[in-house]
Amino acid sequence: MGLSVFTFTVRDRIVGMLVAAVALGLMLALAMAVYAEIDLSFYYELPEAILDAAGISQLGTGVGGIAYGAMYNLMGALTIGGLAIAAGSASIAGEERDGTIGLLLANPRSRTQVLLSKMAALVVLTTVGALLLWVAGLIVPTALDIDVTGVQVGALVVHLWANSLFWGMLAVALGAWTGRPSVAAGGAGGFMALSWLATSFLPMIDGGRAVAQLFPWWYFSSSAPEVNGVDAGHLAVLLGLTVALAVASVVGVNRRDLRSTVTSVTLLDRLRDNPRTAALADRIGGQARVSSIPVKTASDHQGLTLVVGASIAGLGLLEALLFTLLPDGMSELFEQLPDALIAMIGGVDMSTPAGFLQGEVFSIMMPIALIAVTGTVGAKALAGEEEAGTMELLLASPVRRSSIVLGKAAAMVALAAVVGLLTFLGTAAGIVLAGLDVSLVNLAAISLLATLLGLVFGAVALLVSAATGRVRWAVSTAVGVALVAYMLQSFLPLAESYADWAALSPFHYFLGSDPLGSGMAWGDAAVLLAIFLALVALAVPAFERRGLRG
Amino acid sequence: MTAAITTSGLSKSFGDVEALVDLDLEVHAGEVFGFLGPNGAGKTTMIRTVLDLIRPTRGSATVVGLDSHRDAVEIRRHIGYLPGDLAMYPRLTGKDTLTYFANLRGGVDWGYVDQLAQRLDADLSKKVSDYSSGNRQKIGIIQAFMNRPQVIIMDEPSTGIDPLVQQEFQAMVREVAQEGRTVFLSSHTLSEVQRVADRVGIIRAGRLIDVERVHDLRSKAIRRIELVFDTPVPAEEFSHLRGARDVEAFDNAVHLSFDGNMDELLAIATTRHHLVDISSEEADLEEIFLAYYREAGV
Repeated sequence: MGLSVFTFTVRDRIVGMLVAAVALGLMLALAMAVYAEIDLSFYYELPEAILDAAGISQLGTGVGGIAYGAMYNLMGALTIGGLAIAAGSASIAGEERDGTIGLLLANPRSRTQVLLSKMAALVVLTTVGALLLWVAGLIVPTALDIDVTGVQVGALVVHLWANSLFWGMLAVALGAWTGRPSVAAGGAGGFMALSWLATSFLPMIDGGRAVAQLFPWWYFSSSAPEVNGVDAGHLAVLLGLTVALAVASVVGVNRRDLRSTVTSVTLLDRLRDNPRTAALADRIGGQARVSSIPVKTASDHQGLTLVVGASIAGLGLLEALLFTLLPDGMSELFEQLPDALIAMIGGVDMSTPAGFLQGEVFSIMMPIALIAVTGTVGAKALAGEEEAGTMELLLASPVRRSSIVLGKAAAMVALAAVVGLLTFLGTAAGIVLAGLDVSLVNLAAISLLATLLGLVFGAVALLVSAATGRVRWAVSTAVGVALVAYMLQSFLPLAESYADWAALSPFHYFLGSDPLGSGMAWGDAAVLLAIFLALVALAVPAFERRGLRG
Repeated sequence: MTAAITTSGLSKSFGDVEALVDLDLEVHAGEVFGFLGPNGAGKTTMIRTVLDLIRPTRGSATVVGLDSHRDAVEIRRHIGYLPGDLAMYPRLTGKDTLTYFANLRGGVDWGYVDQLAQRLDADLSKKVSDYSSGNRQKIGIIQAFMNRPQVIIMDEPSTGIDPLVQQEFQAMVREVAQEGRTVFLSSHTLSEVQRVADRVGIIRAGRLIDVERVHDLRSKAIRRIELVFDTPVPAEEFSHLRGARDVEAFDNAVHLSFDGNMDELLAIATTRHHLVDISSEEADLEEIFLAYYREAGV
């Protein structure tokens, strides 16, 4: 049975890993093709301090090095790490949520044996993901005839593998101790994002380097394995932590009562159960409201929305204050940078407050936060109720299917607006407190555009949710489309011959007009709104014409 | 009077699997109709098709005279539904759950809801996730009854409910019929249907085998017979007799189900052996049901 728990778990997850690896390979090809069009000679004349500050350390490795750095160091590592976290959080805690753990443990296998099978599956999954990235990393430059001499793809992939295994194992451990998949996935995912932010930001400020070493991500990327090869010490830190987490998981899963409830319990429910935090939890989560479909849907996701909104608002506040800590020399250095390089490191001039805020808060983090909310609402709205079985009762009520779709979409708009508003308020407070020269009107503009962007991807989730009734498909399609859209907008404009194609990406209508610098682009807002409405309009017939799953 | 539910040539296929085949059925207003069949016979598929949750491959259905697909929303003003695999929102309390559906349906009298809750001994204050499956089922039953719908459709309603509450539930079902409203319930436990239903439809492998009045079914001449002899008698002696089924021998007794000619049975029992005692009782639906399956099936 150890073998079958193992094979079952691998089979369950391998498709996601394959899709992700193929997608990353294609993205790598896109990035290399674009970079190959650019004259990189300026790049070799820049002072090393600038490249360090910009997080580019692949000096001397040319097009290939930059492309690997951009694709694998960030997107690849986050994606494979994210999939490892999904597998890790599902391992024990997920079976508890689904109520299948009892059945599993009714077989003659100890908890430890089951857990070890799940861990073995995690090792295999991350290894497969890393191997695929390695193969893609070898094929793409050959196919495009790009010279990658000096780039150590193998070493980069080994670091990426150890890194993703660590994050997956952290999720296993959190799940083993709490039995709650949401805590496992949220905790590990949140810490991973924080680690990445800390590792990329902290070294820029005085004394930050030492603090950055406290975050596991440091041991993945700081030694620049694509240039310097495998750093045995750093790798040992990651693997050592992973083994420690594995041991902790075994202890955790054996010392507590397994949960038998079929239903998931949120962190909020947990806070509610504790008398000291009950009042706070009620304030955040609100009492259940059931007066209508949109109201109930909004009430269902109120906790998630407020937590995500407050986090991103806090980030906005913090980053605005942090800007004042940046060394003075940085702005002078940035002033010397050619536009092409600025575009390459995120499209913004990090030496101006507006550019800094856009790079740190708005270009990536705010869309992620919004998609987390709108994607969840969109996917759960129809497919979630269908998978849970509650759609049967809902549809036995005298409500049109179209009203259900539209009611859920209305709730999504309201929740996205809350996240947008909170981000605006938090960042605005930071700007005022730090006395930065950033227009609050423009801040409102970028917040509104980001909200509309989030709604577009939420509507993608809603459409897939309506058409298929499957939450996982809805979420992965929305996230996949968002990733591709982000890539198109970040890379295509770098090469003139591809630049026009960026208009295909919704992100183009979010940042393309530089809203934080130059104010509201109503035309772009109209495009995003039109895409959102069109997707919702398509979701209605998709849901109406389909037989309910069951 | 308009029929409560009709289906004509209703068929539903999932790929190659024919879950429903040309189902023609009429459920009268004011009756309790039992829909019987083993697991996987197509009961749930029929109900979900009639409710427009899934769409028929061929044929059509009406509820209170309205087309199941075209008038789906209007139909739902007149029905109550209890799904077979009942799922509700885990984080809502029983009361919140009922409020939500009451808001969507309208016309719910809370006095009646409290009365139903009292009769079923249901606690509405707990969260759905904290209910046992039987208590969750009670909430499901209340929501199906609460807006006093014209037609109440229930898929395996007694699942998980203890016998005392089942009795109360059956009384509630009878009362609905007495008010001239209709109850359609599916079941694989015949004793339940026997107690409440006026008529029974028997479905197997997606085909409606027969519709009978419970009374007529019961009076079908299947009898459960016990013959006691002074010495053990092999079962084979009776197994070839026309109308004999399930023949089993225990010690000196032979048990069998029988709908053949009593003369022939007694002839075998008395000419070759010494018959000490004989008892004969009306078969329950279970056996009648099994008899139908054998004939229609193999």
